[in-house]
Amino acid sequence: MNFSAFEHLDTLVFYLVSLVILVCAVMMLNFRKVIYMVLAMGGVFVGCAVLFLLLGADFVGIAQVMIYAGAITILMMFAIMLTNHEAVEPEARWSLQKAFSAIGAVVLGAVLLLVIRSTHWVVGDGRHINHGYANPVAIGLDLFREYTIPFELVSLLLLVSLVGAVLIARERKED
Amino acid sequence: MPALWLWQHGPVTWPHVLVMILGAIVTLAVTLGVVTYTIYAERKVIGWMQGRIGPNRVGPFGLLQSFADIFKLLIKEDIVPEKADRSLFLLAPIIAFVPSFMTLAVIPFTMRHIFTADFGVGLLYYLALSAITIHGVMLGGWASNNKYALIGGMRSAAQMLSYEVPLGMSLVGVALMSGSLNLNHIVLAQSRTVWYVVPQIVGFCVFLVAATAELNRTPFDLPEAESELVAGYHVEYTGFRFAFFMLTEYVYVFAMGCLAATLFLGGWSGPFLPGWLWFAIKVFAFIFFQFWLRATMPRIRVDQLMSFSWKVLLPIAMLNLVGTAIVTTLW
Repeated sequence: MNFSAFEHLDTLVFYLVSLVILVCAVMMLNFRKVIYMVLAMGGVFVGCAVLFLLLGADFVGIAQVMIYAGAITILMMFAIMLTNHEAVEPEARWSLQKAFSAIGAVVLGAVLLLVIRSTHWVVGDGRHINHGYANPVAIGLDLFREYTIPFELVSLLLLVSLVGAVLIARERKED
Repeated sequence: MPALWLWQHGPVTWPHVLVMILGAIVTLAVTLGVVTYTIYAERKVIGWMQGRIGPNRVGPFGLLQSFADIFKLLIKEDIVPEKADRSLFLLAPIIAFVPSFMTLAVIPFTMRHIFTADFGVGLLYYLALSAITIHGVMLGGWASNNKYALIGGMRSAAQMLSYEVPLGMSLVGVALMSGSLNLNHIVLAQSRTVWYVVPQIVGFCVFLVAATAELNRTPFDLPEAESELVAGYHVEYTGFRFAFFMLTEYVYVFAMGCLAATLFLGGWSGPFLPGWLWFAIKVFAFIFFQFWLRATMPRIRVDQLMSFSWKVLLPIAMLNLVGTAIVTTLW
């Protein structure tokens, strides 16, 4: 057996994880039961997190697990469980709208592929990545030095949405 | 050390994969041993605290009692209720167990951490993985198609989610003091200065309470309140699937003990004794504390549970965080 193509096992792991992501994505589209779809989507999220880790983006990978696979998937499950127990999607039928959507999706994929292939990517040598800082340290320095104002603006936005959510969920006295 | 064991740094090769698998197997064996005797010790210690004898029939001093219980669970029939959602019902214990074991991958058991990873964001990794287990608990409760299981699963998920926030907040103080999220570096920083339980005593108290709630143990064992919910989310489970849920709970008790020892009690550092023994002593102290709570505390009410997390624990953890930030900046 010839392993030379996978001398760096990272490549092998990349293909395996990509396969898992694609299978989960296809399953998500094929499932009829909503709760199965959420679970398949969780699989996609976890797979993407592994890809981030593989690329050396530790913090982003773990944040992906924490926020998407953890919080968002659980939130969706809560919503599904508290509503209809037998929530099932109706059988899919082809219509004009769906045909156009399919064509649009294929074109979008082709355009993305073309752009990605024609872009010249700068490949680092891997040693001077993050200026020698650990991954979370480098992100922290960038956030608080280079991008302080956008960071503060995003936190303000999050605060507003938080207050808004509390306001909507608050019990109304007049009822 | 031979180069074969230094797999944490540098590209992955086939021999390194072999060492990783070996490390996982050794960790699994240790964990299963610890869990088996944690269950035995729990029954024995609580028996002693309540003036009973505890298990004493199987083997000398009842030492083989847990093995007998596990064997009984393994040979029992695997029943799937007719109205249950079959595939989710079968999958749920696996979704619950796998993350619990994966969290152990970043715990520095010894000074030369050859079996576990040197991961830059180890602290976040633990928190992220332990959140995945909630899926297993919720799906198990939902797929059983049983009202007690569903209520237990919902309670469990709500409780674990809301106590994860103060838990995470209490750990940020430690990260601030050590300047790293890498568990190995946190232990090293403590071995050079003091154990963080001294400067972070407030954070440690918040951590202890939130960890107990996160583990669904007394006084926060509402998800499996026997008197109201029969047994909580795993009512319908039998045999080895039930064993998997129990295993998950006890692996988390062990993992949380490891986390407490690593972050607040100096990990493997300590005088005279070898590192792994110090680590074992600290973890056992945490586990013993859990037994002690269970033997002495009553269960808190469900309406007090959530407000306690959000209105008491979280503000304390925030104050601790701000205080730590000010002190570390000025110092």
